[in-house]
Amino acid sequence: MSELLTILDYQFFRHALAAAVLTSLLAAMVGTYIVSRKIVFIGGGITHASFGGIGLAYYMGLNPFMGAAVFGIMTALGIEWVSGKGNIREDSAIAILWSLGMALGIIFVFMTPGYAPNLMSFLFGSILSVGKTDLYTLAGFFLLTLFVFVVFFRPILYTAFDPEFAKVKGIPVRTYRYLMSVIMALAIVLSIRTVGIILVLSIFTIPQITAMLFTRNFALIIPLAALWGVTGSVAGLFAAYYMNIPSGASIIFFLTIQLILVKLIVTLHRQVQRRSG
Amino acid sequence: MKEPLLILDNIRTGYNSDPVLREVSLEIYPLDFIGIIGPNGGGKTTLIKVILGLLPLFSGHIHFPSGKPKTGYLPQVSQIDRSFPITVKEVISSGVGTSGKLLPFLSSNKKEKVRKMMDEAGLGGLSSRPIGELSGGQLQKTFLCRALIDEPDLLILDEPNTHVDKHFEQELHEWLKELNKKMTILLVSHDIGTISPMVKTIACVNRTLHYHPSNQLSEEVLKVYNCPVDVIAHGPVPHRVLKSHGHE
Ligand SMILES: Nc1ncnc2c1ncn2[C@@H]1O[C@H](COP(=O)(O)OP(=O)(O)OP(=O)(O)O)[C@@H](O)[C@H]1O
Ligand SMILES: [Mg+2]
Repeated sequence: MSELLTILDYQFFRHALAAAVLTSLLAAMVGTYIVSRKIVFIGGGITHASFGGIGLAYYMGLNPFMGAAVFGIMTALGIEWVSGKGNIREDSAIAILWSLGMALGIIFVFMTPGYAPNLMSFLFGSILSVGKTDLYTLAGFFLLTLFVFVVFFRPILYTAFDPEFAKVKGIPVRTYRYLMSVIMALAIVLSIRTVGIILVLSIFTIPQITAMLFTRNFALIIPLAALWGVTGSVAGLFAAYYMNIPSGASIIFFLTIQLILVKLIVTLHRQVQRRSG
Repeated sequence: MKEPLLILDNIRTGYNSDPVLREVSLEIYPLDFIGIIGPNGGGKTTLIKVILGLLPLFSGHIHFPSGKPKTGYLPQVSQIDRSFPITVKEVISSGVGTSGKLLPFLSSNKKEKVRKMMDEAGLGGLSSRPIGELSGGQLQKTFLCRALIDEPDLLILDEPNTHVDKHFEQELHEWLKELNKKMTILLVSHDIGTISPMVKTIACVNRTLHYHPSNQLSEEVLKVYNCPVDVIAHGPVPHRVLKSHGHE
């Protein structure tokens, strides 16, 4: 055990650990909103469209995560706007933004002269290179999201569940929807740093699905998803280091194994209960 | 005569830009109990949504002569996402008045009010049950509680008697009769038989609206109103199912 923990002497690993925990906590809140509203596909659209921003930022020599944030937010707001219009199919709009973002990203990266950016690190994350600034940004945004979820918990829940009733009750539904769109986009873009574009959605959904084996109460899914997210991603991170495999993929692998194991235990437990009861 | 609670003045409304309802005019007075009937797709839900301010008006006006009344609303079951992870208690709490501000937590007397309401409705033991694990009747009761918790002046119910048994229907009937002493009620159904003994007057909705100032409707009148609905024997209503005429 102590040998296992000597790795903690390395600063880069402590940073990676902090990033994994913060990302899991952030994804616990935002992911519960996404899974409850069944808008995982919107999350996919935001994720992939943000690649266009990464490419453009590279081409212009800017911070790629700024580019991703701008594209991500624009996509999220665009989808919310389209869904309010009702005369454009929302899923088609998402599909268009999804592939357009990827296409733009690849074109810009291709056009960028000289040194080709490390595409792999965006597609699969680069948690082991997380720096202090990244951590402060992540921590700051986590605290902001926590604040929003605590203070506006009821309107967030009510507008997600039944927006028409919320509107009848005088809640400014559109405002909350747009606010949540921006939070969703930023949470996704910040998490791309940890697990990458390809895998980011799993960290927003697998812990929630694990949590929902125990409860169907929105308010309880969040802390449970936080727990499962942290255990899965920390385990995945240690495994990645000791087995020398990519960390993003390892984290997702552990989250999934954990889901399967928990599901198995819950099912067995229920069966035993039924037999004895 | 009392002042109307709300006036629909020659309104036209619908989704996107296709009008579903045209030339709809209606005056609703305090303590009215109006049954809204009509065929599937006739525009009953659309009418309710425009009254609730959830749909834009293409033309015409809605007036609330003495200000917007406090409104309780029960949506049609088909519009509720039953797989959403929310409990009975949370659903009912979402109906608690906000008076503009929505505090992060319910005050303890509001919580008490929610608890009392659940007990009265026989939902006491189901308080932390997710709505996905309720029977049809329990679900309707939960949403009825949500509509009533704020003690509205205007209660709008969109088909509260779908997926429920005769027993619940009877219970609902009694509840609504009692509630109607204090509040105006709009009750949607596509089955005139079940609602005609409850309501005071009837509005037939099929692309437009015909108001009938009594709760008894003959087959002939329904024909004139172009309002093909199932007529199931209840007192003087003829025992025959009307054929659809199609509109326009
Ligand atoms: N969200 C929507 N977008 C576009 N058209 C809609 C929408 N909802 C309803 N419509 C159309 O409006 C018309 C009236 O629908 P509405 O739901 O008001 O009927 P209804 O009388 O409530 O029927 P039911 O008895 O089936 O509930 C229908 O032709 C329907 O196709
Ligand atoms: Mg309807």
